[in-house]
Amino acid sequence: MLFLDWECNCDIIQFILLLGDRLGRCEHYASGNGTYVRQQCIYSSLAGFVHEQENDDKLPILNVTREEQHTVIPEVGSIVTAKVTNINPRFCKCTILCVEDSPLKDKFRGMIRKDDVRATEKDRIEMYKCFRPGDIILAKVLSLGDAQSYLLTTAENEFGVVLAESEAGVNMVPISWCEMQCPKTNIIEFRKVAKVQPQHILTS
Amino acid sequence: MAGIELLSDQGFRADGRRPHELRKIRCRMGVFRQADGSAYIEQGNTKVLATVYGPHEITGGRSKALHDKVLLNCQYSMATFSTGERKTRPKGDRRSQEMSMNLRRTFQAAILTHLYPRSQIDIYVQVLQSDGGNYCACVNAATLAVIDAGIPMRDYVCACTSSLLEDTPVVDISYLEESVGSPEMVVALLPKSEQIVLFQQNSRLHVDNLEKVLDMGIKGCTDVYGILDQSVREHVTEVSNLMMST
Repeated sequence: MLFLDWECNCDIIQFILLLGDRLGRCEHYASGNGTYVRQQCIYSSLAGFVHEQENDDKLPILNVTREEQHTVIPEVGSIVTAKVTNINPRFCKCTILCVEDSPLKDKFRGMIRKDDVRATEKDRIEMYKCFRPGDIILAKVLSLGDAQSYLLTTAENEFGVVLAESEAGVNMVPISWCEMQCPKTNIIEFRKVAKVQPQHILTS
Repeated sequence: MAGIELLSDQGFRADGRRPHELRKIRCRMGVFRQADGSAYIEQGNTKVLATVYGPHEITGGRSKALHDKVLLNCQYSMATFSTGERKTRPKGDRRSQEMSMNLRRTFQAAILTHLYPRSQIDIYVQVLQSDGGNYCACVNAATLAVIDAGIPMRDYVCACTSSLLEDTPVVDISYLEESVGSPEMVVALLPKSEQIVLFQQNSRLHVDNLEKVLDMGIKGCTDVYGILDQSVREHVTEVSNLMMST
């Protein structure tokens, strides 16, 4: 059973929840985003609207969301979009721009170690043939790393460079998993290319 | 009788309030576009502006990063024109540092800090006009700003002062009542769970009077909660209507 505050606007009933409002008991629901559990009850931790999310064969999940964009930070397992800023033979540094689909208001630092660039032939990896400063990459958060930066990995087919500029200043086209070609000068450059999944391809 | 009568025979205070009455509270959320969250509050003649930035990457020495929870950075300051006598040092003095530390402790109890490890949240409060109950107004303004920023909290944090004037407990004391030297008590409360997150007393109070003054402070916090709750409700409705229309 849901315990909700509601308000009627423009003939649409919306459940406006405020901080600390009780949503239900843990026997009936699972706690989702924007909620927390105290003494076997689920409470709202945001001012916003409640959504019940179906969960296969399990308890439905209660989420509280705001109208405005909610603040996100990188977590272990998150897929992030980052921009390479610095490269050396052992690792490359980058700036995390997005977490999943959400752009970050403030940038977070990330780092890809040489061992985490690809899953095979780790001893033969040359960082400069995988990434260059300015490349936009897809990566996964491996761990929270040290105090300096998040540890990222591109050791899967779906991760790697998605956007790279050639020396001529043109966006390059991937021609294999380790090469990209400039459409203007036809010069081939080495990169650890991401295999973009079909569901992520936008068709105009 | 010499001086100002703080409590009349009819039970009215110097500004015309009853002992249990709060000063008029007016508040607005989302007053700054640049900040992630902001709020402005007026409690009588005490006016406070609060802004919240974050969660963002830790600035300055990154060795301060906490691997399991967010780092709260609170800064309390008073505008140079906030008091009758112009302030030479609006922030950084001992009093401001103590207020900042109290703010941090208060909000660490309310914000769900474990959700943002290795990040930082900045809460800046500035007193634009001071007329007593500065800390309480700052807590209330910061609460609204944190809610506006969409940072998850366990509950509202509502704060209120209480005191004892001529053996009568009074709530939400003004600068005039503060300056008499009567014992002042500051209570910050999570109203729904009725947990006290800050309790401060600045002079001696007899143990026989403690309970009734504390009860008055808690009742004041509950009344403040009603006003803040209404303000947030109106703001959320306004924002959602705006989103729908666009």
